[in-house]
Amino acid sequence: MRSRLILVALVALLATACLPQPADTPPESPPEPTFPLSLTDDEGVTVELQEAPERIVTWAPSLTEALFALDLGEQVVGVSGDFDNFPAEAAEIEHIGGSNFQPNVEKVVQLEADLVLDGFGGGEDWKQRLREQDIAVFTLQANTFDDLLHDLQTVGRLTGANAEADELVADMADQAGSIEVRVGEEPAVSCFFEVGFQGGFFTVGPGSFIYDLLETAGCEPVTSDASDAFPQWSVEALLEDDPEVYLVSSESGSTVQAVKRRDGFDALTSVEEDRVFLIDSDLISRAGPRVVDGLEALADALHPE
Amino acid sequence: MREAGARNGRRRGGRGLLAALALLLAGSVLVAVAAGAVRISPATIVRLFAWKLGLAGPPDNVPDTTAVILFQLRLPRVVLAGIVGAALAVSGAVFQALFRNALADPAIIGVSSGAALGAIAVLLTGTAGALGGLAVSGAAFVGALLTAFLVYRLARIGPTVHVTTLLLGGIAVAAVISACMTLVMSFSSQSVQSIYFWLLGGLGQRGWGAIAIAGPLVGAGLLAAALFAGHLNLSLLGEERSGQLGLDVERFKRVMLVVGSLLAAAAVSVSGLIGFVGLMTPHILRLVGGPDHRILLPSVVLGGASFMILADLASRVVVSPEEIPVGAVTALLGGPFFLWLLRREQREASAHA
Repeated sequence: MRSRLILVALVALLATACLPQPADTPPESPPEPTFPLSLTDDEGVTVELQEAPERIVTWAPSLTEALFALDLGEQVVGVSGDFDNFPAEAAEIEHIGGSNFQPNVEKVVQLEADLVLDGFGGGEDWKQRLREQDIAVFTLQANTFDDLLHDLQTVGRLTGANAEADELVADMADQAGSIEVRVGEEPAVSCFFEVGFQGGFFTVGPGSFIYDLLETAGCEPVTSDASDAFPQWSVEALLEDDPEVYLVSSESGSTVQAVKRRDGFDALTSVEEDRVFLIDSDLISRAGPRVVDGLEALADALHPE
Repeated sequence: MREAGARNGRRRGGRGLLAALALLLAGSVLVAVAAGAVRISPATIVRLFAWKLGLAGPPDNVPDTTAVILFQLRLPRVVLAGIVGAALAVSGAVFQALFRNALADPAIIGVSSGAALGAIAVLLTGTAGALGGLAVSGAAFVGALLTAFLVYRLARIGPTVHVTTLLLGGIAVAAVISACMTLVMSFSSQSVQSIYFWLLGGLGQRGWGAIAIAGPLVGAGLLAAALFAGHLNLSLLGEERSGQLGLDVERFKRVMLVVGSLLAAAAVSVSGLIGFVGLMTPHILRLVGGPDHRILLPSVVLGGASFMILADLASRVVVSPEEIPVGAVTALLGGPFFLWLLRREQREASAHA
C-alpha cells in the first residue's frame, strides 16, 4: 500500500512516457447504455464494445473498488495484485500481475476477459498484445476529483451500469460539495503533504490527484510552485514555509510521533501546535469511490470542527 | 641528479596540490553552508556561528527557524557529505592499489550491495521500529561487512588470498545480491521506494546522529589507511616484488581489505550507493599528483570530501526547493571532467614520446 504512489511515479519516470492529459470535462449525464458503443480513453485510443462486458480485469485497485461500488464485483475476474484489497471480496480474485509492473498477458487471455481497465497509463506493449487478441483495453487517468467523477461515469457506460454510476457520482458530488461548503467557511490553511521521508523527502505538487484533493479540502499546499507531481523537497524550505498543518501519508511509513522527533522538526508550528496527522493513503491515492472518505479525513485534519 | 631533482619537484608539487585541495575543501564547506533552499545572508551565518561558539549573544532579528535550518539541517548535511566523500574516495584508492586494478571501487567486493541488502531486510520486515534510520544504517553496515567477509573467505585458500578470485567473487556475489533485490522489487512493490533510495543514494536528512555513527568509523579507517600509505606504494610493485622487499603480503592484504571495507560500509550505511566518487576521485588525483600514496591518500581525502560536498550542494540548489538525487550529480559533474583530464594526459604522453 505504502508505495503505490511512488511506484507509479517511478514507473512513469523510468518509462519517460509522455502521456496525454485526460480531458477535463465536467461530469455530465451520459446517454442510456447503447451497445455497441464507441468511446475514446485518456490515451486517445478509441475502444469499441459490441455488448456489455461480462468478464472484466482491472489494472488498478481504484478501478476494482469502482466496479464493486457499481455492484459489478462478480464480473471482475482478475485484479492487479495485493493492493486490490478492498472490499474484502476483492482480495479473493485472481491476480494478473506479471513481472516489471506489467500484467501477465497470458493470464488475461486465459481468464477470457472481454474488458481490461487500466488506471495508470503507459504500457503500450501489453495493451497492444491484448488488443491483438480482441480484448478491449480502456485507460482512465484521473488527476482531479472532477476527472474521477467523469471516469466513474465512463466506467458505468462501458459496463452498462449507467444508472448505478450516475447515482454513485451524484452521492460523491453531494458529499464533496458539503465538505467544500464546510471548509469554505474558513480561510484556507497552509499545509504540507509528506509522501516519503526515509528514502528521500517526497511530497505532492500541482498535477497530482492528492494535490487537487488538498485544495478541495481547504488547504493551500506550500509546494504550489513544484514542477512535478511528486517532487523531492527540501526540508529547509519546509521549515521556512512553516505550514500550519503537516499531513503524513500512511505510505510514507512514518508515524505522527516519528515526524515530531525528527531533527529540526520541533521548530515547525504544526509540530508545536499538535497539528500533524496521519492520512490513510488508500483513501486518497486511489482515484476511486472512497476518495470522498479521504476528502473528509483531510478536511477534518485541516479544519477541525 | 636529474632523478633526485624530479623527485623533489614532485614532492613540492605534492605539497602544492595538498594546499590547493585544502583550500578547495574550505571553499566548498563555506559555499555549501552559505547556500541552500533558504537564503541566509553571510552576515547572519557569521553571527549565528559566533553565538553557537559562545563568542557573542544570540543575534537579534533572526527567526529561530534560521538557526535550526543552519545547525540541524544544513551543517550536518555538509559534514556528512564530506565524511562520505572522503571515505568512499580513500576506499577506492586502497582497493585500486591492493588489486592493482583501475576499475576497483568501494563496491568491488560486494560491500555496496551487501549494505543495500542489510538495509532492505530491515525496511521490509519493519524491524526498524523506534530506532528508525539508525537501525537501517546499522543493518546496512553489518550487511556490508558480512558480504565483504564472505567474498574474502571465497578468495582465501590456506593462508593465501587470491586477488583474481577476490575480484571475480566480489562481482559474482554483488550480481547475486542485485538479482535478489530485483526479485524483491518485482514481487513487493512496497519495497521499491526503499530499494530505489539505496540504488541512487542521498545524504538527505540524516542529521548529526548519522555523523556520530559514521564519523568515528571513517576516522579510524582513514588513520589506518594513512599508516599503511608506504606499504600501498610497495604493493603497486606486485605481490612477489613487495614480498621480496620485506612486506608481509598476506597480512597486509587482510588489513587493507578490512580498512577499505570498513570505510565503504560506513559511508554506504548512511548514504546509500553513491557512485563515481570512489572510482574516479583517486584516478583524477593520481593524474594530477602522481601515484605516491603518501601524497595520494591525503589528497583523496580532501578531494573526495570537496567533491561530495559540491555534488550535494548542486543537488540541493539547482532546482530548489526541489532536490535531485546526488548520485546523478556526482557522475554528471565528475564524468566529463575525468574524461577531459584523461584525454589531456594521454595527448601529453604521446607528445613526449
